[in-house]
Amino acid sequence: MRSSRLVKITGTTAMSAAALLVVAACGAGSSNPPPSSGPVKSGGSITFALDEDVAGWNVLQANDNEFVLQEILDQTWPQTFVIHPDLKPHLNTAIATSAKVTKKSPQTVVYKLNPKATWSDGTPINADDYIYNWKAQSGNPKYKDVGGKAFLPASTSGYSQIKSVTGSNGGKTVTVVFSQPYSDWQSLFSPMIPAHIASKVGFNSGFQEFNAAAKVSGGPYMLQSYSKGEDVVEVPNPHYWESKPKLDKITYRFITNDDQQPPAVQNNEVNIVNPALVSTTFYQSVKNIPNFNVQVLPGLEFQHIDFNESNPYLAKQSIRQAIAYGTDRQQMVDRIVAPLGVKNPQPLQNRIWMPTQPQFQDTSGGLGDFDPSKAKQLLESSGMTMGSDGYFQPNFGPEKGKDLTLSISTTSGVPVRSQIEQLFQASMKSIGIKINIQNYDANKLFGTVGPKGEFDMIEFAWVQSPYPSGNQSIYCSYTNANLCGSNWDHYANPQVDKLFTQALTNIDTSQAARQYNQIDSMLWKDMATLPLFQQPQLFGWSSNYGNIIPNTSSTGIPWNANQWGVSAQ
Amino acid sequence: MWPFILRRVLAGLVVLFIASFCLYVLVSLSGDPLAQLKANPHVSPRTIEAARHQMHLDEPLLQRYWTWFTGFLHGDFGTSTTGQRVGPQIWVRLGVTAKLVIPTVIIAAIVAVLLGIWSAVKQYSVTDHTSTALAYLFYSSPVFVIALVLKNFLAVDVNKTLGHTIFYTVGENTPGVTGTWNVIRDDAAHTALPVIALVLVTYAAWSRYQRAAMLDVLNADYIRLARAKGLSRRRVLLVHAARNALIPVTTVIALDFAVILGGTVITEIVFGWEGMGRFLYEGLTGPVSPDVNAVQAWLMITATAVVAFNIIADILYAVLDPRIRLG
Repeated sequence: MRSSRLVKITGTTAMSAAALLVVAACGAGSSNPPPSSGPVKSGGSITFALDEDVAGWNVLQANDNEFVLQEILDQTWPQTFVIHPDLKPHLNTAIATSAKVTKKSPQTVVYKLNPKATWSDGTPINADDYIYNWKAQSGNPKYKDVGGKAFLPASTSGYSQIKSVTGSNGGKTVTVVFSQPYSDWQSLFSPMIPAHIASKVGFNSGFQEFNAAAKVSGGPYMLQSYSKGEDVVEVPNPHYWESKPKLDKITYRFITNDDQQPPAVQNNEVNIVNPALVSTTFYQSVKNIPNFNVQVLPGLEFQHIDFNESNPYLAKQSIRQAIAYGTDRQQMVDRIVAPLGVKNPQPLQNRIWMPTQPQFQDTSGGLGDFDPSKAKQLLESSGMTMGSDGYFQPNFGPEKGKDLTLSISTTSGVPVRSQIEQLFQASMKSIGIKINIQNYDANKLFGTVGPKGEFDMIEFAWVQSPYPSGNQSIYCSYTNANLCGSNWDHYANPQVDKLFTQALTNIDTSQAARQYNQIDSMLWKDMATLPLFQQPQLFGWSSNYGNIIPNTSSTGIPWNANQWGVSAQ
Repeated sequence: MWPFILRRVLAGLVVLFIASFCLYVLVSLSGDPLAQLKANPHVSPRTIEAARHQMHLDEPLLQRYWTWFTGFLHGDFGTSTTGQRVGPQIWVRLGVTAKLVIPTVIIAAIVAVLLGIWSAVKQYSVTDHTSTALAYLFYSSPVFVIALVLKNFLAVDVNKTLGHTIFYTVGENTPGVTGTWNVIRDDAAHTALPVIALVLVTYAAWSRYQRAAMLDVLNADYIRLARAKGLSRRRVLLVHAARNALIPVTTVIALDFAVILGGTVITEIVFGWEGMGRFLYEGLTGPVSPDVNAVQAWLMITATAVVAFNIIADILYAVLDPRIRLG
């Protein structure tokens, strides 16, 4: 079974990512023809297989914050900025005709809202929505949900830095003033919960059942029906003020076992697939289905190995570097990524920007190159002696005089991760480190083992959004528990902390991108974590539909579902 | 008979109480419903603490159990970790599973009884060998293998050949279908494959029980006596032999029915049905799991079914065999 996909950067497995144009430039592979486009006619329906049911209907609430729900809400909840396949935010003029930084200090953003924008119940989309969405996600305890309960937002990033949100011009002009600059300001208010509904039924619990509240739409489609574990149906929103969407119905069909999706495609029960974690079996099953387009693109998600620096051996930078030099990452991509049809896959050389993003730079400085002899030298210089059994033995610490033995943990039952572990184990054996594999179910790994630091090394995937600010809590010094709760590795570097603060508050995006690359360069030098490779994403769709364009960002492939249609040819 | 039933019901209630307590404690200690939040770098520690409080995870385990127990006594199954009422969900799931299980049990029982009797009467014939071979084949095949074969080699090919969809491979129905006849046809098209898969794995074991029971009876003295008295072969087989040979199989079917009702997890996953099996599976492995209230609801329904069907099996035993008296 696949594991859940969360909307933003998370510790679970998959999500989508990568831009068509950039992918081509990077030489990444795609099989079969390019996306079908061209004229489409009105009418018809489409069925999209999702590999997980929703937990509720408020994607902004912590427990509901799943990628599948964001995909479903792409066409129903308004987004001020939409991430396009180029992985850049684009202003959604259906909601706001302009959004500009009007002042740098204090950073002030003015949104001019589309005067026609209304919720499907006739209530205007206006400043009240922006004010409510800010308060609910601010993390400020003075703002309370219905019943005096604390709000449970999935993220407070950016919203916690807002000082005020005010409306003018009949609520159609919104002015946001930040208490400190926030470079990813375009990530805010995308999507938005209907304030006039949420303030009555509650942010935390009012959208947990499929009810009238969940059906209120501010987009081209609206939710019509939901059958638990079975499907969600969307139909055109009759009150939508822009061009009417083409399809009469979009059905999201939950097929939680990815292996069951290819037969459903063959049987014409499903028209679009995008499995959470693509396997070679899945790829082989769908690539030769007639009249079915398949594209495999590098995602905004990457596999990595983390080192727990509370371990006395992994606390030494030279030992972490030795492990990196001894890891044959190219072999991993050749064995795991290449069989999925990706041409010339390469190991990942940056943790913050993926090669499919324009800001990407190779910041590794050669520290991730495969060099077993250098690895052995580093181990020797770190106080290790090669034993007669081919394993190094430390001259210090609790394992003094014994074979250097470390464990690696990941989620059990995920073939890709097991393969990574086995290849890693073989690589380490060749440089003289004994590796024990100790896996757990996802719940235990991410609920206990990771957060409590009960591991030596841990392997999983981070899912990036195009906005890099989410990386701070992973790599900033663990000593700041409130801010850096996702740093499970006991890693600390004050220079990294300082650069994060600068990058996050830098509203010059190109300068901020350079600062993020500097951070990553430091992470390489410290060998805080070892990035492995970009996880490929598979998109498949019936060729008799037009305007379907994969989007590897956290928006997902339905980002332009209002333009999808049955091909007119 | 009534004192017997009363004693069994009381014993069943004690079993239910003990099972509910043990399972509550075990499931609660088996994982952390906040794991997903902890794994998300965007979720602030304050939000995690607020969620812990709102899910009552900051209360002692015994107090949580007592809250659940008193709610259950009032017919309230509680709220899932994701905020939905469990009660309405569990009944819907039970209905979904029943839609799958009831036709399966009826068809499998008929096929198993007929084949079992036929095999025993025609012992060591070609029919018997074929029936035995098929029964072992289906009994030893995992249900997901049978399901994949049915999907890939039956559904897809038949549908393509006929040019329209006779068999669906996923889901319980097609959303938006209206009209009684269309709904029945659509439901049947969705139900056919999972029911066939379940029938094949279910009938196999039952037919072996039936064959063995029938062989036992056929070799009994009273059957020889019946034949010696000049009764027709047909009357001996159907009235004297088959009725007695049904007793053990009836018990097995009654007990199995309760177990199957608890969920055919793999079949439901493979065919995308949202029944009791998936309800339990998601309660234990879902994104916000373990979901103790969901698992408890599953337990109370299935354990009650097991207790009830045990009693029914005992009663049926007495009905089929006049020598047995309950008391």
